[in-house]
Order: sequence, then structure tokens, then C-alpha cells
Amino acid sequence: MRQIETDIAVIGAGPAGLSAAYQAAAAGAKVTLIDENKRPGGQLFKQIHKFFGSREHHAGVRGYLIGEELLTQVKESGADVMLDSLVYGLLPDKSVGVIHEGLNYSVKAKKIIIASGAKENYMAFPGSTLPGVMGAGAAQTMINVNRVLPGKRILMVGSGNVGLIVSYQLMQAGAEVVALVEGAPKIGGYGVHAGKLRRAGVPIYVSHTIKQVYGKEEVEGVQIAALDEHWNMIEGTEQDFDVDTVCLAVGLNPMTELAWMVGCKFDYIPAFGGHVPLHDRNMETTVKGVYVAGDITGVEEASSAMEEGNMAGVAAAESLGYLSHEEAAVKKEQIQNRLNVLRSGVFGERRKSSKEKQLADMESYQKGEMTR
Amino acid sequence: MSKPDIIVIGGGVIGSSITYYLSKMGKRVLMIERRDNCSGSAGASDGVVGYHTKKPGLQMELAIQSIAMFDDLSQELGMDVEYRKNCGGMQPAETELEWKILSDIVKEQRKSGVDIYMISMKEACKIEPQLNPDLYGALYSPTSGKVNPLKLTFAYIRAAKRLGAEVLYNTEVTKVLVKMNRVMGVETTKGTYYADQIIDAAGSWAAEVAAMAGEDLPIRPRKGQLFITEPLGHFMDVTLQCARYNVIKFKPEAVGDKAVLRMGASLSIEQLKEGGLIIGSTREFAGFDRENTLEAMEATMKRAVRFFPALRDVNIIRAFAGLRPFTPDGLPILGESEKVPGFFVAAGHEGDGIALAPITGKLMAQLVTEGKTSYPLDAFSPARFRKLSEGSIE
Repeated sequence: MRQIETDIAVIGAGPAGLSAAYQAAAAGAKVTLIDENKRPGGQLFKQIHKFFGSREHHAGVRGYLIGEELLTQVKESGADVMLDSLVYGLLPDKSVGVIHEGLNYSVKAKKIIIASGAKENYMAFPGSTLPGVMGAGAAQTMINVNRVLPGKRILMVGSGNVGLIVSYQLMQAGAEVVALVEGAPKIGGYGVHAGKLRRAGVPIYVSHTIKQVYGKEEVEGVQIAALDEHWNMIEGTEQDFDVDTVCLAVGLNPMTELAWMVGCKFDYIPAFGGHVPLHDRNMETTVKGVYVAGDITGVEEASSAMEEGNMAGVAAAESLGYLSHEEAAVKKEQIQNRLNVLRSGVFGERRKSSKEKQLADMESYQKGEMTR
Repeated sequence: MSKPDIIVIGGGVIGSSITYYLSKMGKRVLMIERRDNCSGSAGASDGVVGYHTKKPGLQMELAIQSIAMFDDLSQELGMDVEYRKNCGGMQPAETELEWKILSDIVKEQRKSGVDIYMISMKEACKIEPQLNPDLYGALYSPTSGKVNPLKLTFAYIRAAKRLGAEVLYNTEVTKVLVKMNRVMGVETTKGTYYADQIIDAAGSWAAEVAAMAGEDLPIRPRKGQLFITEPLGHFMDVTLQCARYNVIKFKPEAVGDKAVLRMGASLSIEQLKEGGLIIGSTREFAGFDRENTLEAMEATMKRAVRFFPALRDVNIIRAFAGLRPFTPDGLPILGESEKVPGFFVAAGHEGDGIALAPITGKLMAQLVTEGKTSYPLDAFSPARFRKLSEGSIE
């Protein structure tokens, strides 16, 4: 086993991990950034739409351009980037088991930042295992990164921002989106995204779900049905669509395996996608020296992931003495202010209260530990 | 329950077996378990029910009697314990030296009348086609079997409960009550319970319990790390260990590599009924630590791929570690304390607790209720270490 020693190991090179690596390395720490993919950026490089928010949140800039800017920053900061490197274990002594090109490495770090992101939820229905049923995120990767059209006639399930944006991008890529189906009685995502679909003539069926997908070897058609107020299918409301692809945009859940493995304590917060590790305002978990950032702490979006990454990077560098407490305090306050803006307004309210609960639970856990 | 006849401390495979056989003899048994059934070693074990992994002599004699009891166990306990009789046991050797050491051990083992012999790799590969043919030769034990250790434990405890036994879960014994040199009962985190006879079946934690009764036991936890693969189709039938397994177990002085000896890293592999492979293991003295280590994971996986090259493309989905109760002479401790009459010990089976559980339960039940056993337990008595106790237990 090959040994690598470093100050801070960052697991995951998406928006959170890149930001964390940049902040820590720029402060002078030796940083090793590890990602299983052949190129960094996580989901940023498939986001060809313009981001919202204020200028400091890169408003009006397309996601992949933000990714390129971050990458340049990370390279200039001097962080080591290990790509094509799968993390298979994280032990309490802060050693990270990594497989790279068939070889086994142990990365021994003083601090760990887990920025492993989230994975797509799945939905089970008759025919859900047929080729042609896929996650909306997978379809987005195919069109925007690999430039392959997953199908010609597509039905999308889920009207959150992912479902709306990916539907529009599928149309831009040349597919026909025959319908968008949403189980809830109203559209979940931003009106501006839904409006684009509406203007393009895509019918949106709220209070509907998939009853079944049919086909011999692959998807040949789909049947949807209306839902009553208890989310039960109403008989006689079935409608059939001739499609070759069904995309599921039914939420994400945090990729928490490494945090469980290393012994972190968790909260269950449905608004964040399920189980999320407890952390304090420095993004440090209940396991000292192990930090989290991005979707693993609760599914939000790229902007808040980057700010959480900034926070974790600054805090980890501070704890190793690379930033004075005064320097760190100034940076952390700025980051916290930007995070607060991202979690404000109608769409941010639920995430704001969820994050407050998570922080409060961390505090009461720490108090319990102290009195023990 | 009003005052039970006997309190059994520990809800692992040994405690559960004893509780069952005592209940079967009409005794009122209270089991006290710190967490849950199988939360210790019984829940972190492979299921080898083999002759070939047993030390020649007394341990083998005990194993022969125990393995015979597995035949009717599922029927008797009313639950399928997934016993696979005669699936076979195999230990391929990598070198001539290993082959010679194994052959010597086999010679001793055969004195007990068990069917174990050495075969060529050609024969071994005929039995297990996935095996790497580029090895030296193998020990083969056609009548060895395997069982699901969790189901075995749960089958025992459920059958015992049907016969009236009671179990206190999440209850930790904090004190053993002794009056006039006799046990009276135990204090626990959930109250005081009285009984005239107490059995310490706390496995790797048995020495801690015994100390509460004023008895010294030289039992130490010995960590074993295990790994589970994704489910596969039919892959193998035998339970297989590399020759190093028996060499480390019976002749550690023959192992040259210091790192191998420190980790006690040898291969033990078998296929579970659901299709996954359970791959182990190490023999490490690391206190009560139950963490996996990257070093042991690598050492174990390398050996797995050396013996079964097809495993290089198979995913590991879970890793965990258990603690085996080690004794200095490799034999379990079965018997009554001389110092504190009424305090019995049934622990220290190291890696053989699953295979030896039926006979341990049966003989301990006889000892406690009748004061004598159908097979002599003198050689297993706790008192045998008295002479050693002044020196080091290594």
C-alpha cells in the first residue's frame, strides 16, 4: 500500500470540494483533493444554464464557466488533485483508502473534508428497470457532457428545478419532451424555468404519476394516472404516451456512507433528502477533524455548496494554524453572510429552518458530550 | 420471572446454546445480555463447522461430538439454521514447507478418526473450479460443513424462550454477588437478580465478568476483520482457508513474515446462502478495538485474489470486525470456579465457538444440573491456568 501524507484531504471535487481545496491551499495548507471521476467539477460541468442570485454568487454566469474558474483557482493554489481515484474507506484515524489505476493508497491526513455530494432518488413502478428509464441527472450528463441524446421522445417525472431545467435542455439538444408529470398539486421549481417549458408547449400534468412503463427490451410507452388528495391513483384517468425514454427527477439524497463509516452522528431531515451528518458553523462534524460541505450536509444547490466548501476550507486551515483566528473570522463572516442570502426568501425558507435545526442538534449533542 | 435456577451472562452463540439445553432439561433460566443476541462475536463470524480447522486431540474430540449434533438441529430447534453438511473444507498450500506442516497436522487430526487427507491441485480444482491451479496442493476434509451463525444463535434462543427461558436485553452486569464464597446473584443496570448458579458466557468479555466474581481468566479479545462481497451466482461449495490459517493457529513459530504474524493475516472464505462471499481474516491483539484497517483489508483481499483470481472484479460491499475470545492454550474454558462455587465459565472458544456451540451447551447444562458430564471436562477447567497465572499468559 502506498502512503501519502497531507494536511487536509478533500473527498470529492465538485463545487464544494473545489472551493474547500482552494481556500485551504490558498491559506498555505498541503491539500490533497480526491475524486473518482476522470475530470473534476462534479455536476458543475453539465450545468449550462445561468445561475441566479447576486454577483458574488456568480449570477448570470453559466455553471460550467463557474467550474472552469474554480478549477483555475485550485490549480494556482497548489492543491494536489488525484483524479480517477475511488475512496473506498475512511477510518477514525483519518486515513483514507483510495484506489487509483488499480493501486491501493492510504492518504493519511490531519483533517478530512467530505464533499461527496448527492445521488438521485429512484422510483419503483412496473417497468421501472427497463432500459430507457433513467435519472434526469444521467440524461443531463449524456447531453451536456457526453453529447449523446438519450432518446427522441421523452417523458419527465418531477417538476423541481432539475426536472424543469433538464426537460428544457433535452429539447435544446433535439429531443421532444411529450409531457412533464408531477405528483404534487403544483409545480415545485422556479416559475422562470417552468415558463420556458410552457411557452414551448410542453404539457405539465400536476397531481399525476406513472402507473407503468411498458416495452419488450426497452421503453416503448408509458401510462400515467391522476392522483387524488391522498396520492392514490384514480382509476379511469389513465393516459398513454408513446415514448422511448422516461426521466426521473424525483429528488436527491446525500451520499453519506463515508460519514457513517467514520462515526459521525446524524439528523434525519426530509427537506435535505434524508439522513445528514450533524455539523457546527465551521462545518466540523461530531468526529473531531472531519468536516463536511455541499450536498452531503443536506441537498441544496451549487452556490451554497461552494460557500459551505469555502467555510470548511477556511475552518480546517485555521485549525492547523495556517490562518490566524482574526483572519479566519473575517473570511467566515463574509461566507456566512453569503450563505444567509442564499437561504433567504420564499424558496430558501425551508432550507434555512432545516439548517438551523441541524446546527441546533449539533449544539445539544456537544453539550451532552461535555456533561457526560 | 420469580427467582430463576440459573443466570446465563451473554447472549452469543455459547450463552444461547447453554440456555436452550438448560431449558430443555426443565431449568428456569434468565439470560442477561448487555446489548442484543449476536451483537458480539456470534454476529461477526464465518460459519465453518469443520474438523480440519480443529487442533488435534481434545479440541478435535469435542468438535466430533458437536458436529454430530448439527444433523438434527434445524428440526429440533424449529428453525432452518442453514446447515450444509458435507459441503467440504479445504486448505490449499502455497509451498512445499506449508504442505509438510499441514501433512503433519493432518496425521495428528486423523488419529481421532476424521476423514481428512492431502490432495493434488488437480484434484482440488476439480472440486472447486474457481481455485487458482498455480498452488502446491491442498488439505481436504469432505465431511466438513457450514452453518449460518446468526440463525444458529437465534434458533437456540427462540427455542429456549419457547421452553420458558427469559432474556433481559440492553442490561449490563455490574457486579457478581458473592456471599460466604458462593454466588448469590448479579447486580445489573436494570436491577438485582438472584440465582444460585451463574454461567459466564460473555465470550471475549468473559474475563471482565469473571473478575467481578474474583476469578482470574486468561481470556483476551483477538480481533478478526471480515469482508462481504456483492452476491454472486454459485461460486464455491467448500469453506476454504489458506494453509497459513492452520499454520498460524497451530504452529505460529513456523511463520517467518513479521507483518503476517502481527496481523495473523490468513485467508478464510466461504459463500453464503444469499450468494455473497464472506472473506477473512486476521488474528490481532488490539484490545477491544473493532475497527477495520486498510492494511488488513489489503492483505486479506490480496490473498483472496491469489487463491480465487476471478475475485479481482468482484465488489466488497461491507467490512466489519469481531473479537474472538483467545485462551493461551487454544482450548475453551468450561467448568466451575474452584474459588467461587456456583460460578461457571463457558468461554474462550476463540474461532471455534460456532462449531463447538452445541456440545458446549449440552455439556454445560449437564454439569450445572447434574454435577457431571457425559464427556470429561477436566482438561477444560478454569483451574488449569492457576499454575500459569504467576507467569505471563503469552
